[in-house]
Amino acid sequence: MPSTSQGGSSNDNKHNAPRAALEPLVTAASSSSSGPTKFELVQNAILSRFTHRKHDSTKILSDLAPVIMTPRMINSTANASLRRQTIGPVPQSRSKLDFATLGRAPLRLGGSRRITSGDLQIVEATEELLLTDIPEPDGLASDVSLLRGFNATIPSAEASRTRRRQMRNVETPRLGLKKLGMSARGLLTEGEEDGHDGQSVTSEEDVVVVPREGHGKGKRRGRESLSAAKTLGKDELTRQSKEIMRDKENIHVRRSLIHNEISEISLKIAALDGIRVKLEQDLLRLHEDELELDDELEGVKERLEFEQSQRPQKAAASQPFHLPHTSRRRKGPAFLPSEHDELPPGVAFMTLDGHSTPLTALDFSEPYGTLVSASQADPQPRVWDLFSGAEIGRLRGHTDSVRCVQVEDHVCLTGGADGSVRLWDLRRVDMDGEGEGEGERGGWGDGEIVMLGEIAEEGEEGGSVAGDEEVTESGIRNGNVNGKQRATERDDCCARVLEGHTKAVTALYFEDDCLVTGASDKTLRQWDLSTGQCVMTMDILWAISHPQRTPSGLLPMANAMFSGAAASVGTFAVPTPPYADGSWDMYEDFVGGVQFWGYGLVSGSGDGAVRMWDMRTGQAHRTLLGHSAPVTCLQFDEIHIASGSLDKTIRIWDLRAGGVFETLKYDHAVTALQFDTRKIVAATGENGIKVYNRTSMQHSTLQINGHTKPVERLRYMDRYMVSGGRDSAVKIWSL
Amino acid sequence: MASDLPYAADAEVSLSYDELEVLRLQYQKELAQDYVTVQTKFNYAWGLVKAPIREHQVEGVRLLQELYRAEPTRRRECLYYLALGHYKMGNFEEAKKFNALLMEKEPSNMQAMSLAQLIDRGVAREGYIGMALVGGAAAIGTLLVAGLIRRATRK
Repeated sequence: MPSTSQGGSSNDNKHNAPRAALEPLVTAASSSSSGPTKFELVQNAILSRFTHRKHDSTKILSDLAPVIMTPRMINSTANASLRRQTIGPVPQSRSKLDFATLGRAPLRLGGSRRITSGDLQIVEATEELLLTDIPEPDGLASDVSLLRGFNATIPSAEASRTRRRQMRNVETPRLGLKKLGMSARGLLTEGEEDGHDGQSVTSEEDVVVVPREGHGKGKRRGRESLSAAKTLGKDELTRQSKEIMRDKENIHVRRSLIHNEISEISLKIAALDGIRVKLEQDLLRLHEDELELDDELEGVKERLEFEQSQRPQKAAASQPFHLPHTSRRRKGPAFLPSEHDELPPGVAFMTLDGHSTPLTALDFSEPYGTLVSASQADPQPRVWDLFSGAEIGRLRGHTDSVRCVQVEDHVCLTGGADGSVRLWDLRRVDMDGEGEGEGERGGWGDGEIVMLGEIAEEGEEGGSVAGDEEVTESGIRNGNVNGKQRATERDDCCARVLEGHTKAVTALYFEDDCLVTGASDKTLRQWDLSTGQCVMTMDILWAISHPQRTPSGLLPMANAMFSGAAASVGTFAVPTPPYADGSWDMYEDFVGGVQFWGYGLVSGSGDGAVRMWDMRTGQAHRTLLGHSAPVTCLQFDEIHIASGSLDKTIRIWDLRAGGVFETLKYDHAVTALQFDTRKIVAATGENGIKVYNRTSMQHSTLQINGHTKPVERLRYMDRYMVSGGRDSAVKIWSL
Repeated sequence: MASDLPYAADAEVSLSYDELEVLRLQYQKELAQDYVTVQTKFNYAWGLVKAPIREHQVEGVRLLQELYRAEPTRRRECLYYLALGHYKMGNFEEAKKFNALLMEKEPSNMQAMSLAQLIDRGVAREGYIGMALVGGAAAIGTLLVAGLIRRATRK
């Protein structure tokens, strides 16, 4: 028997193989809700041999036809088990190789129809589709089913309407309307066509003469309306009314479909708009990053030049007056300790308490370097070490409060209300814990606080003994503790005290050997620091009363009043607008800020004007008018000048053209500002420090652990900022 | 829920060629605009499914499947239409699966129940054909076997 079975099986294999190939997905059937049909019973009975169900009937049947059943079924079940996949619900019949699939085989093999990729695609997709979630239909889906919409929108929906229209067509003799219409449009009319071209549709309301017997008769019969010519009948009319109602419903369906589509499209548009806004913000951020990289590049170039110039001088002894590249114009990132990166941005992480009165001026050499801060009614600015946060010492010499400070590396220049400008070497502060004057000047070194008190009490004793300083300086330096001798030491008369101004020096700026100061005597003076002499004096009053031709137009009334006031009244005093805490002062600084580069000098003064001077000639060649109150702070770079004033605005001017580029409005008077290509940081009479992002035009405030009273002064380098406020505290921020 | 589903007999009635053409043009016009509304797609798909040509039915089912994927709210209806499409094409397994899923969601749906019966009847019909095939093949097989045995015994 084995040969016969093999013969049988080889024959059947031919059928099996293509069939098995044609059904790649042999899946278990899902449960059927109806009970097993008669056919299924027979099927199960015959095949149950391989489903491990023990029935007597099945055994008998399988014994009856073992030859046929065994090889084919074995092959088929083997193939089926290879490809069987089961789905979630428990399948009731495991083998799909039943008579149904066998029945399908001849159809498939017949070649009348080939399996296309479309077929396969459909079948394969079934799996994943069945797995997807089916939510409850809501909204439109539950109101208008697909079929309803189908019936409402297919072309045959229009059929009833056209049918009704045709019902209304009245049989009339041909009027030749088409010819009329065509000639009215200017088209050539062709030969008469027969009536099959379609009947003309006329309105029922028209009353038309219908000539029955041609034109010859001419007699007019009674006019009959067209609607009387035809009777439609009650059935027809009711049918028409039903159709019309259905058509109206169809219109309702179509309307709701369109509404749904419109709302979906609106949602999509809103989503796309949101995406576009985000992308535009990303663009702005990219722009900001680009500006930062530009600055960094400049910084790197400067450093390259600096280091290259340093190399030949390495062996040489450092000069006491080695004035470094000014930090105010430096653009690139600063050197910071690695821990600085861990600081959260926008937080004041250090507070220096030491002053007892509101801060009037501050500056520092570099982040985590040396800070010099001055406050009201205190003639001795304090020197701090920013790395440790400890006070190193004080600068003694001024007799009145210090109004402006600039620190470059170890050199410090202060301008005081007493009209003098002093040059300090900050390195000497370390030595004996006291501020000192420069080499020639002399100063004393003493660490004991008790002595300080004595000296302060002794007042102006050693007022103007120049010679003593020279002689006794070294003696004192050696730590000779002698109160009397110390008392005779005064810095007022040192060579490196720069005297000249008659009133308080309120603004100064120095770079390399050149210093420019502005004072309340309404003049600007230029000094040479190597000799200590005043090189030039620029009179602002003269510039006010001899205005140059300015491109920005006429003097506004407020400025005229200011200039008049400035010129006539001896002392200049303007009440400031109230700060955030309600307090206000009399503002008396005529020169709010100065800065120069090369021979171009820019000053902001009490008449609200920003003036550009040529230091070679001493003339103001341009006046920028716009502020309506005194200018309190000023800075410029290659492209812009930023000035803040008591009129609560910051104006950004174009350096070359002289026009206002931007005006930022605040709630209180602006007392200090600093800017770079990407941001403007300003102290505007509030406890928080205002930061304006120039690329995204967003304002923000630095408040965390901030001042408890309005901020007066600030200065930042890269991501490190120092601010001083009326609460007498100096706070250090990470930006 | 108001389920407005057509009976299976409706699927046997096909649209006229012109109507199908109009639907096809509408669908392709919207396709060119890159925004096909659900109703247009369904109209075209349903018209295709009703057509007698098998390629059209395949295309119709494919479009219905796309609808199923894209519109969650319409899925329940699409289950029925997919089952109907598969039934018409002769893919009884898939038809049964979709219909079963629909019956799970809506046990009292008249059209779904009638479709289930139709599917079962179709399966049975094919099974009878299969049984006849089996019998015929068995007959041929025994004949061949007998011939081989005779040849063997003769030798």
